[in-house]
Amino acid sequence: MVRRPRRETPVGSSEALRLVEVTKTYGDAENAVTALDGVNLSLPAGSFTAVMGPSGSGKSTLLQCAAGLDRPDHGRVVVDGEEMTGGSEAALTKFRRQRIGFVFQQYNLLPTLTVAQNTVLPLKLAGRRVDRARTEEILAGVGLADRMEHHPDKLSGGQRQRVAIARALVTEPSVVFADEPTGALDTRSARDVLRLLQGSVRLHGRTVVMVTHDPMAASYADSVVFLADGRLAGQLNAPTVDAVAERLAHLGDSVNDEMQAGV
Amino acid sequence: MFVLAMRSIRQRPGRFAATLLSAFLGAVIVMTFNAMHDTAGAAGVDDVSAESLTTAAAVVGGYGTLLVFFAVASTLTVNVRQRSEEISLLRSTGATPAQIKRMIVGESAAVALVGAVLAIGPAVLGGQALLDQFQESGQVAGSVDYAFGPIALSSGISVTLLASVAAAFLAVRRATKALAGARKERGRMRNLAAWGALVVGAASVSTTFAMDETDAAAMAPPAYGAILLAVGFALFSPVLLTGLLGRLRGPITALAGASGYLTVHNMRRRAAELSGVLMPLIVFTGMATATLYMQAVESDAIEASGLTKSVEDKNLETLNFVVVGIIVVFSCIMLINSLYAATSYRRREFGQQRLAGATPGQVMGMVGVEGLVLTVTGVFLGTVAAVAGILPFTMLRTDAVWPGDQGPGIWLAVVGVAAAATLITSLGTARGTLRTPAVQAVAVAA
Ligand SMILES: Nc1ncnc2c1ncn2[C@@H]1O[C@H](COP(=O)(O)OP(=O)(O)O)[C@@H](O)[C@H]1O
Ligand SMILES: [Mg+2]
Repeated sequence: MVRRPRRETPVGSSEALRLVEVTKTYGDAENAVTALDGVNLSLPAGSFTAVMGPSGSGKSTLLQCAAGLDRPDHGRVVVDGEEMTGGSEAALTKFRRQRIGFVFQQYNLLPTLTVAQNTVLPLKLAGRRVDRARTEEILAGVGLADRMEHHPDKLSGGQRQRVAIARALVTEPSVVFADEPTGALDTRSARDVLRLLQGSVRLHGRTVVMVTHDPMAASYADSVVFLADGRLAGQLNAPTVDAVAERLAHLGDSVNDEMQAGV
Repeated sequence: MFVLAMRSIRQRPGRFAATLLSAFLGAVIVMTFNAMHDTAGAAGVDDVSAESLTTAAAVVGGYGTLLVFFAVASTLTVNVRQRSEEISLLRSTGATPAQIKRMIVGESAAVALVGAVLAIGPAVLGGQALLDQFQESGQVAGSVDYAFGPIALSSGISVTLLASVAAAFLAVRRATKALAGARKERGRMRNLAAWGALVVGAASVSTTFAMDETDAAAMAPPAYGAILLAVGFALFSPVLLTGLLGRLRGPITALAGASGYLTVHNMRRRAAELSGVLMPLIVFTGMATATLYMQAVESDAIEASGLTKSVEDKNLETLNFVVVGIIVVFSCIMLINSLYAATSYRRREFGQQRLAGATPGQVMGMVGVEGLVLTVTGVFLGTVAAVAGILPFTMLRTDAVWPGDQGPGIWLAVVGVAAAATLITSLGTARGTLRTPAVQAVAVAA
């Protein structure tokens, strides 16, 4: 799906995403929840990273802050060498359009648009030209060339998620974020979705960051970063299902220990 | 179930506001005019005065009843639809359809009662003001004393209560049928009703020519005909809207870019829902335009003949303005309420558009273009219905076909109100929903 070469340097050598001391607190002073507590992260272009951690550890917040869907309280977010500045929603939207794709657990396709229209919506909104052949090519890439004129309510969950992936890739973004993209899918559909994400990295040099709680899903990634209580808690390269599961179990222990110590 | 109904009202009073307002205004109108029955019934009222009073009471009282019914039905339908989730939750926890029906009907009965009781004070004052007006214009003798009595009270409370209960009953029945998936049948019923309204409306308009030119009641057939035509058009509006959007797709997208693109696709898919918004818009435009122009033609004709207005003429004029006023207020409530509900219901959709890369400005642009398309469609169909009533009346009452002495001023004012109500409500509501961050907006269960 790489059409125009994005950079001179070979894929994999530059930095696609950098987070510096990113902090995010929800709620007011009395019952504040620190969702992210000074997170530093650097991901090279052309990498596939899984983010894992217990429920409530800040994974979704991390993704949303990195993707410009939420504003960090402190810290910097740099995407493809360009710093995200906390302007208006319109300014953030324009920043995201060119650099970021996002895939949600609940697909978030527009029910009134067809598969083809949903796929090219980001281009339309950005005022960019859309040609039919390109749309077909992208949907063929996710195995849905024959469903272009269907509406989302006629598709299975797995098919919907593949449309969402096509939509996220259509603008050729620097980073694609996916928050539990397989969380609502059966095993087979999940596998299709994971292969697609993996393929976009391996074949087309995209950068993908995926939150998941499933060690099987994480094993598709090049590396896994762990998150606990809003802080990074280690990294695992070339993850296998067993290695991830074990690491997760320990992560649970240490969090529980901390909680008991805190009481 | 009644306990449940009361609790649900106490917890979320806001969502009953539109229903309460409709019931309250309806009760004020019904009581105010029925107080004229009480006044006319007192001893020592002369025949002319009594007739002025009872005509007003009968005509406007009848209209009022119908309008309370429609307004409460419209607000309740919206209310029930918004609560479909709560209702299916109740069902899944073991409430039978009959219990749910009793809950909704109980709620609306309680709201109607509150509305009617609140209406007593304003209606007492309103009746006094109305009588003063009649006396000032000489329609009623100055010696007649004001009375607000049993007829006003009982009719106000019973009409409001009955109309609300009946409207609630229908709203629940429709909701539960919709849940059971009885779409096809409703479509057929709707078409039947639409054709019925158009045929009877056309017939009523045609009867105008059979009327005696000097008969003050000559205005009734074209006026009723125009209303029925407006209702018929409103029932057909989903089909008309889909066709229109198909035609205008190119221009709208060219003029409004991505916002226009979203508008066209959204509205074509949601045409059926939008008829709930178009109905009050078309009826409002049709009714207000028809009645105001016919009244103007009538006044001019009387003036041209060199006669002074009789008491009967004055009665008619007062009634027309009152009826138009009532319809304007009720249609506006229905329009604003259904548009508000339809727009706030789309919080999730707006969120999804924002996540796909739409700026808040583009979402507002889409809502604005939709509002414009709705206004143009509603105003066009309403105007066609109005003209169908105005032309025969003008031909009957004057030598001309077209009310040439009347400028477009009245029509422009009517269109202005329609456009303002539509655009301000939809844009204001959309703006409110955009305050929620997009991620949270889509997380709300649809
Ligand atoms: N919009 C919000 N308002 C208040 N608290 C929030 C909000 N979003 C997340 N949180 C809190 O922040 C913490 C991290 O949440 P989240 O990032 O969703 O975790 P995860 O995705 O790892 O389950 C949790 O304690 C959660 O309750
Ligand atoms: Mg999460």
